[in-house]
Amino acid sequence: MVFLTLSCWIRNRGPDRFWKVQELLKHARHFRGRKNRCYKLAVLAVRRAFVYSTKGRRFKKRNMRTLWITRIAAATREHGMKYPVLIHNLTKCSVQLNRRVMSDLAITEPRTFLSLAKLARARQQEGFQAALGDGKEPPGVLSRIMLQ
Amino acid sequence: MTSRGTPSRFLRSVLQNGVGRYVCQLKRVSIIFSKKAQGSLGVRDFIEEGVVDYAKKNPGTVVYVSPQPCRVPKIVAEYLNGNTKEELVTNKTSQQVLEVLTKLTDQSGLDIIRIRKPFHTDSPSIQGKWHPFTNRPPSAGFIRPQSQHAE
Repeated sequence: MVFLTLSCWIRNRGPDRFWKVQELLKHARHFRGRKNRCYKLAVLAVRRAFVYSTKGRRFKKRNMRTLWITRIAAATREHGMKYPVLIHNLTKCSVQLNRRVMSDLAITEPRTFLSLAKLARARQQEGFQAALGDGKEPPGVLSRIMLQ
Repeated sequence: MTSRGTPSRFLRSVLQNGVGRYVCQLKRVSIIFSKKAQGSLGVRDFIEEGVVDYAKKNPGTVVYVSPQPCRVPKIVAEYLNGNTKEELVTNKTSQQVLEVLTKLTDQSGLDIIRIRKPFHTDSPSIQGKWHPFTNRPPSAGFIRPQSQHAE
C-alpha cells in the first residue's frame, strides 16, 4: 500500500465498554426518565441512590422504633393508660419485652396486650400505695423481688 | 445495591419440607474436573476417597462425575425447583470439596437474595387480629327473638 501513515492512526480501544456500562445501568433500570437509559445521567443517579440507601439503613431503625412506639401508645390508650406509664411499670415488673414484640402482640394478640396493660396498672397502684400509704407492709405481689 | 433495585423474597421452606418427611432438595450433582491439571488435585482425591460415601449417604441425589479437559474444576448442583448453582473448587483439598458438597446438600434451591424477615408464620394471630371493635363494649344489647311483637 502506498499510504502507510493512515493505518498508524487507528486506535484499538478496550473490548469491555458495553459490559462495564451495563453493570452500572442494571442498578438504574427501575428509575424514571432518561436516567434509566443514558449512562451519563445514570452515573449520578445511581451514586445518589447508593448514598440514600446507606443513610436509609440508619433511618430505618429509627423509623421502625417510632412506628412501634406509636402503635403501643395507641393500644394502651384504648385501655385507658398512657405509653410512658406502661413502659415504666413494665420495666419495674422486670418484663423485658421490647417494643417490636409488644406492637406485634397489640396487633395479633389483643387479649395478651390487655393483660400486660392490667399488669402495669396493678404495679402502678402498688407504687402509689407504697409512696402515699401508711408505710405498712404493702399487700402487693408484683413489687416483691424474689431473692434467691 | 438498593433494596428496591435488588430482588428480595420472604423466608419460606419448599412445600413445608421437614414438617413431615424431609426430602433433600438437591436433585443432581455434576463434578467437572480435569484428569491432569493441578487445580483439580483435591477433586481427584475426593473422587478417589469420598464420593462413593457421599453418594451412599444421599440416596436421593444423583452424582455425575465427568472428567473433561477443563482449566477450572466445578461442581454444578441442580435443585428440585429448577435452580442451578455452580461452585468453583480450584485448588481445594479433598476435605474442603466435601464441605462444599455438604453445604450444597443442605441448601434448598431457593434464591440466595435478601430475606425480608427472618421469620414466617402461617398463623400469625391466635386470639384474632385487632380490629376497631375488639376493645369496644357492644352499644346495643343482645339480639333477642321478637316473641313480644308477635304477641
